[in-house]
Amino acid sequence: MGLKTEDKNGLIVCYIDGEIDINTAPEIKKHFEKVLSKKAPKIVINFSKVTYVDSSGLATLVEILKSMRIYGGKMRLSNLSPKIKSLFEITKLEKLFDIAADEAQAISDFI
Amino acid sequence: MNQRNDIAEEKITIPSEIRYVREISSKIIKELGSRNVGESALFDIKLCVEEIVRNAIQHGNLSDKRSRVRIHYRIKDGLFTIEVEDSGSGFNHNKVPDPTHKDNIFKGSGRGVYLVRRLMDKVEYSEKGNKVKLTKRLK
Repeated sequence: MGLKTEDKNGLIVCYIDGEIDINTAPEIKKHFEKVLSKKAPKIVINFSKVTYVDSSGLATLVEILKSMRIYGGKMRLSNLSPKIKSLFEITKLEKLFDIAADEAQAISDFI
Repeated sequence: MNQRNDIAEEKITIPSEIRYVREISSKIIKELGSRNVGESALFDIKLCVEEIVRNAIQHGNLSDKRSRVRIHYRIKDGLFTIEVEDSGSGFNHNKVPDPTHKDNIFKGSGRGVYLVRRLMDKVEYSEKGNKVKLTKRLK
């Protein structure tokens, strides 16, 4: 699993490459703890290279969202594959997360 | 391994260690992949196999390495079935809270069992609740 963060004019875009599951969750949490410690106001997580998400991965994303909401931060997800998007729909997490078709859309929704 | 035409069947017993979860799912996905099973079904089966084997290890056997998890999977007649049995006291699957309910939506756990129910065609629990059988049609 790879993690990359870019600061685009104050908007943080995180790229996750690989799987978001029980094996990678600790590393993802640790990464976002660092990002959230700076109280990043707007974060986009780009899923274009995410191949798999399990229930632990979904729980990790919920935890990150909860942590952001504490200080008023906002998060959007983009570029979800139809299969991964369907997991958000099945679990009704699509109501919790703002999901954009692609990164450009996610960023423009923030502006 | 009994492999004849499109039939594959194997019984595996593993110690209650998380590192075996991916080993089991990879083995099954490799078997299914060689039978031209679609990507969507492969995704569902990988996720559900990992969820139930992990549940058996962590919740059933409480990660006690001396306790075993027994797995029996079969690919036959366009169907994938897997039975996973732990050595624990079982649980009442009907009492698992609905993770989509507004009171639970922010909770960290509880989505695994729910996803398995939604992604598989059939989910059957033993009366004791320490054994689950999943069935998925391979379209």
